[in-house]
Amino acid sequence: MIELKNIGVQFSGRDILKDISITFNSGEIIGLVAPNGTGKSTLMNVIMNYINPNNGKVVLNQELEYTSKKNEVKIHQLVSMMPDQSDLYNHISGKEHLKIYSSMWNSDPKLVASTIKTLGMDSYINKNTGTYSLGMRQRLCFAMQIVSDTQVMLMDEVMNGLDPTHVELISQILVQKKSEGKTIIVASHLLENLEKYADRIFFFINGELTHVNVISPGFDEKEMTTVRATEVTDTIKEKFSQEFPNTNLRSLPNGATLIDVLGFDSEELSNVVEFLKENEITEFSFGKVTLNDLYSMQYQKG
Amino acid sequence: MWAYFKFEFLNFIGNKKNIAIYVILLFFACYYALKIAPTYDPIEKVDVDEIEARYLTREEFLSTVVIHDDMHPLTYFATQIYPEWNYYDKERLDAIKDDNLKLYAEATTKWYTYSDSLIYKFGGDMIFYNAGYYTYGNDYPTMDGHYAYLYSASRYEGYATGKSDLSINVFEERTALQTLQRLLHSYLPLILIVSCILFTADIVLKDRRNPTLLQGLPLSDWRKLIIKGGVAFLGSILTILPLSVGLIIIGVRNGFGDFSLPVPLSIPLPALSTNELTFESISMGEYLIQNMLLLVLWFLLIISVLLFVSVLIKNEFANLLVGCVFIFAEFFYFSRGIGYYWDVQWFPSSYVQVGQVISGYRTFLYGFEKLTLSNGLAVLGLSTCIFLLFTFLISNHRKFKLL
Repeated sequence: MIELKNIGVQFSGRDILKDISITFNSGEIIGLVAPNGTGKSTLMNVIMNYINPNNGKVVLNQELEYTSKKNEVKIHQLVSMMPDQSDLYNHISGKEHLKIYSSMWNSDPKLVASTIKTLGMDSYINKNTGTYSLGMRQRLCFAMQIVSDTQVMLMDEVMNGLDPTHVELISQILVQKKSEGKTIIVASHLLENLEKYADRIFFFINGELTHVNVISPGFDEKEMTTVRATEVTDTIKEKFSQEFPNTNLRSLPNGATLIDVLGFDSEELSNVVEFLKENEITEFSFGKVTLNDLYSMQYQKG
Repeated sequence: MWAYFKFEFLNFIGNKKNIAIYVILLFFACYYALKIAPTYDPIEKVDVDEIEARYLTREEFLSTVVIHDDMHPLTYFATQIYPEWNYYDKERLDAIKDDNLKLYAEATTKWYTYSDSLIYKFGGDMIFYNAGYYTYGNDYPTMDGHYAYLYSASRYEGYATGKSDLSINVFEERTALQTLQRLLHSYLPLILIVSCILFTADIVLKDRRNPTLLQGLPLSDWRKLIIKGGVAFLGSILTILPLSVGLIIIGVRNGFGDFSLPVPLSIPLPALSTNELTFESISMGEYLIQNMLLLVLWFLLIISVLLFVSVLIKNEFANLLVGCVFIFAEFFYFSRGIGYYWDVQWFPSSYVQVGQVISGYRTFLYGFEKLTLSNGLAVLGLSTCIFLLFTFLISNHRKFKLL
């Protein structure tokens, strides 16, 4: 378990992180969503103590804080952050990288072989990383963190450069690690994918962590909340507002139109469908607001 | 810790700059062995023709000169000193002709002792040391000749009484081990220490190229620094490998020499002492160990200084600059006899000419008896501890970031 208490970071007088207090529990995957440059990496750097926050503290397992270099080593024994693929040593093989991480964290050496196998890296793992493609490097970085086998794992853009097969594979491994009791904090731009495995998702808004449920009530519920339609013209939207004055309709910068149907019964829903059909809107779906929609609402300008 | 050491060492030997340093050292060693060493022309060489010419000239003079009351004082002086001088030269010539090198060494040590006793006493205007000391720009030829003759006397005494296999190459200090001894007396220590600076200058700061890979390792900054220092130290010691290639080439050509060959050390004399300059010999093995000891401390000092600068200034050029100041500072204050005015024994840079410090030659040049191996070890050791202590304090500060 890792707790952030009143973490605040300012750069050049600007609040990057504003009084963040939150607890990340064991056995959960936390998703962090925000555009680049809004503080995701800063938050991870604070958790790793790469950046000293202007105020607040990080507490691990209710006892360890970054109060001394000795404690920092103890925390780093339990908390790791996935390396960036551009930081790999090009003249050293992937396997050497894994062995180094495994030895540094004194983890089970068998984890090296099993991780190589699971991630399908056998064919190239003995080659120098300078010969690797972006996806291969990314898998290696992920593998390095897996072999470090720490209690808390921070991953910034873990799916970057991966093909859909490996995105799926890594998602499965994350779920498995969660079941082993790890706390995994993932920042990702693959929002649909993140939605699948993250237990809690937070948006960075003005330096604060905002839970997705606060932005979109009922997001976590298994309930139909939204009708999502595309190609809805302004005239149709106006007509809809006149016909359904108590129903919320939102237009997103990504072109989607969301009709809030939380709590609607079958008759009300069929009225909405009837309206869409009458107005020749054939592309619509029932379900929840997606993370992509929320992202668009929060960060994209129409 | 071992895993990190292995990782750092892998990086060290894979570093292109470090590989280039080893390759340059290998080139230097081979070039020296093949091109420079064969052209070595010592002032004190075994020159039978010169001895014979000198002997015959003086012998003819002695056989023809008539001593009378009105003769020139210098002619009379010559009649007094030439017989013994020629006696030793004759012994040397006979020994060489008989290939009796032991006897040659015995006669030569007497020849040098006798020559120096005359030249130093009357030196300057009547009789002279070997012309090789009287070169343009040398203001102290008599002192240099005095030192070299007594050094040679001590050296030949060692050959005469020792058990080493003798040869002309041994007499002229051309064997591999003697070449190493001469190089340690010359610029080799500087080359090794500069290599150490180049190895260490980026050993901390190179990590800035791979921050996310290294920042979170569960190892304290102090331990990382110490391990990096250990790797730089090991890398500096490994410079022996390319240099030994040159020594092997010289050994194959001129013989390797042996570890029991004598190496004369001058006994330190206080400034303005009226005592005579004297030498005592130690074995080549002992001399090399003492050199190694002082060089090791130099490596440790340079590494500790550069670790300190790395955590303080975080700039490779600053590392190079500070390292160079340490080893080249002596050029700015050294002049012969300056030891009488300055307590130069407190400056680490005074010990940079490792071989000369151990042989006592540096003491002779400074005119100062305190520039000794033991003082060198103390000053370098203490300086190393001070820099390590500061580095420890900085790296253990809660807010300190190595990268």
